[in-house]
Amino acid sequence: MIKFENVVIKYDEFVAINDFNLEIKEGEFFTLLGPSGCGKTTLLRSIVGFIDIFSGRIKVNDEDVTHLPTEKRNIGIVFQSYALFPTMNVFENIAFGLKVNKLSKEEVKKEVYEIARKVDLNETQLFRNVSELSGGQQQRVAIARALVLKPKILCLDEPLSNLDAKLRGQLRQELKKLQRDFGITTIYVTHDQEEALTLSDRIAVFNKGNLEQIGTPHEIYNKSQSEFVCDFIGDINKITGSAIDTINSLSEVKFDRNKTAFLRTERVLTVCDDKKYIKLKAEIIDFEYNGIFTRYYYQMNDNIIMNIEKNDGSDYSSIGEKIDLYINPADIKQF
Amino acid sequence: MEKIKEYLKHIKISSIIIYTLLSWFIIAFLVYPNINLILKTFIKDGQVSLRAFEKLFSSKRAMMSLRNSFVLAFSMIITVNIVGTFIVLVTEYFEIKGAKILKIGFMSTLVYAGIVLVAGYQFLYSSNGFLAKVLSDLIPSYNVDWFVGYKAVLFIMTFACTSNHMIFLSNAIRNIDHGTIEAAKNMGASQFLILKKVVLPVLKPTFFSITVLTFLTGLSALSAPIVVGGKSFQTINPMILQFSKSPVSRDIGALMAIILGIATLLLLIIMNRVEKGGNYISISKVKTRIIKQKINSRLVNIIIHLVAYLLFIIYIAPMLLVIVFSFTNTIAINTVDLSFSNFSLSNYMLLFTRRGAFEPYLVSIVYSMSAAVIVAIICLVASNIIHKKEGKVGTILEFLLLIPWLLPATLIAMGLIMTYDLPKTILFNKNLVGSPLLMLSAYVIVTLPFSLRMLKAAYFGLDNALVDASKSMGASGFYTFRRVILPILLPTVLAVIVLSFNKLLPNYDLSVFLYHPAYKPLGIVIKTATEQESPGDSKAIMFVYSVILMIISTIAIYFFYGRNTKRK
Repeated sequence: MIKFENVVIKYDEFVAINDFNLEIKEGEFFTLLGPSGCGKTTLLRSIVGFIDIFSGRIKVNDEDVTHLPTEKRNIGIVFQSYALFPTMNVFENIAFGLKVNKLSKEEVKKEVYEIARKVDLNETQLFRNVSELSGGQQQRVAIARALVLKPKILCLDEPLSNLDAKLRGQLRQELKKLQRDFGITTIYVTHDQEEALTLSDRIAVFNKGNLEQIGTPHEIYNKSQSEFVCDFIGDINKITGSAIDTINSLSEVKFDRNKTAFLRTERVLTVCDDKKYIKLKAEIIDFEYNGIFTRYYYQMNDNIIMNIEKNDGSDYSSIGEKIDLYINPADIKQF
Repeated sequence: MEKIKEYLKHIKISSIIIYTLLSWFIIAFLVYPNINLILKTFIKDGQVSLRAFEKLFSSKRAMMSLRNSFVLAFSMIITVNIVGTFIVLVTEYFEIKGAKILKIGFMSTLVYAGIVLVAGYQFLYSSNGFLAKVLSDLIPSYNVDWFVGYKAVLFIMTFACTSNHMIFLSNAIRNIDHGTIEAAKNMGASQFLILKKVVLPVLKPTFFSITVLTFLTGLSALSAPIVVGGKSFQTINPMILQFSKSPVSRDIGALMAIILGIATLLLLIIMNRVEKGGNYISISKVKTRIIKQKINSRLVNIIIHLVAYLLFIIYIAPMLLVIVFSFTNTIAINTVDLSFSNFSLSNYMLLFTRRGAFEPYLVSIVYSMSAAVIVAIICLVASNIIHKKEGKVGTILEFLLLIPWLLPATLIAMGLIMTYDLPKTILFNKNLVGSPLLMLSAYVIVTLPFSLRMLKAAYFGLDNALVDASKSMGASGFYTFRRVILPILLPTVLAVIVLSFNKLLPNYDLSVFLYHPAYKPLGIVIKTATEQESPGDSKAIMFVYSVILMIISTIAIYFFYGRNTKRK
């Protein structure tokens, strides 16, 4: 559906995206994930046609759109700010593109009402000023405004980043549902790894203009291919030096003591009878109580290891207590 | 009885003195003269009299000037908005080559304004001016006399009054969310449609305010019609000035000033009302900065560039000429001859060698500085009270001090002239008219509102916890003010003094009514130099005055805005 071929994007001398290749499939919810300044928004804006690429090609359905102006690409966009026109009401905002395309009055009305119904905006809301709407309603207007033009692709630039945590969670679900209902190919930009994991069919993780890994959320999380991806997504233990020696002495698989080893926090167990696991001696030095779970900090040799315990009624441990930790060497990664 | 005693204990002598002084000032200078003006105009020998109206209606010149003022004000709404919007779009919205240089030219009206600007335009365009001499040699059919009357006044006012656009409209454009422009582009809107449907609607309230302010500027024009209006185009204010000079016609002048005042008041009320309704502010929490738009059509792009640079030349030509000619001798000025041999520093020397040449500077500096400092002190005291007493006392005090903002300068001047021409008890039986203090008091009055608003804002930006902290450590109110509040406010106080000083220094409109013959301020001397029969070296010194005024203004504005941008 969308194909990037050797795309290079430059700002004067600064190379924002270097020799980038990617293919996004029809109907896919695809996320560009990375810390701020990694080039993900730049890439999104090049798809929409706001940024000229330096070299390479962008194809949509095998059609070369590299030099097509934004309005000819038929790609909709929802901005981080939503960019709703403050001087127009909801109806006028949604109708804007239709009017530009010279649809008749009746057609405009029909289309606007239809899309409004689909995104759950009622008639009174249609004639409100956009400033009177809640954050969630504003988001739906922005999406409706993009979808009413029946784009081939919908691009979303961090649409949830300026909302509070609770609304963010709610809108995330709403967004996913809308995407499923419309079945539209969606490219989503975010720096929030949780958002990326819950929403996406596939994720591309970026760092400093380079693509680190592409994969399903499961692959990205469990089969991280680089130190950066490992560290950027989820909580992780970094094991070094003498701790690696201890593990090597108990495990059949041997690790390089000169490199950092990575182990997900939820893969450190305190109770286990699986033979694949090895037993390590540790001491509790701190904990953070979080309601649903508690995060414990253990001293093991000169390393600090974290794990998560579900607060399901089992006994609490206290600081200073000696404890056995069980880990599966197969869960440890080194790059 | 006990209660009263208890109450009196809490009142400090110092506050009684401060409140008394403040009340005296407000009554004597802000309230009484204006009310007295109305009473004197409409009450003759203890009876209501409409004689002033009869005199006004029967004076053809006066009626003509009323009509002219409205014609000018309405014309300016169109011309100033067109030029103002254009220069803002080419400096802030469209991608124009050399926009930074253009902007400096268009911003020049901030430092090159009032009588100084009018004098410069007159020197360039009038029948014996620079352009007339140059063009009449090249094009024999060039009409050297065109720069007089309505055309000339409107021409000057159009280019002189775009400062509001450069400040407020530029700011409004910079605040547009760039996302809205991109969204419209993405949905297929053309550049023209984006400008019309997305950008301009957001600017509507700004346009409204600027239009009202422009209209008011047009109504109360003084220096431009006086210098280039000629017999055919005199407006209200020059007429009031003429009438005010003779006791017989003074009441017509007063009535016209009242009419001007009512028009101003009405417009400001309407503006306030409209500004309160309607939401045009961007709803975005995360706005993206506006990026300048490249004009797609080649032809349009070329035309816009040409017009922008033509306007640039119109803006800076009078200013440049004044600077250039300030470095020539009087022969060059009289014959408009720019031969190399005519260049010299003699004019700047004249300032120190010719008797009395330096005097207007001293007069203007002393007047402006004293007024600026007095105003700063009054406003500091007043905003302290407004800040502390949020109830009725504060509101009333603030309203009273803002009165001069609602009234045209001419009305204030007329009020002072017609009230204090005789000894009055409230001024300890002293005559203000005929005393050098008359102009000083007017300078103080007109700068009050601006300074008060600035200082009040600074006061309200002050963290109350600081004051509480100081008091909790046992400091008295005055000690807290001196050691905690004042140091924080000091930069604002200084900025207010500098800006007031800068605004008053070249003042003409108010000075012309009130100056003391023995102490002529700069504005008056510059105006005199624009007159046909004025000798060459008075023109030369006028150029020197103008150049130095521009330099002072530039420094003052830089001091103010430079300081603000650093903070951000």
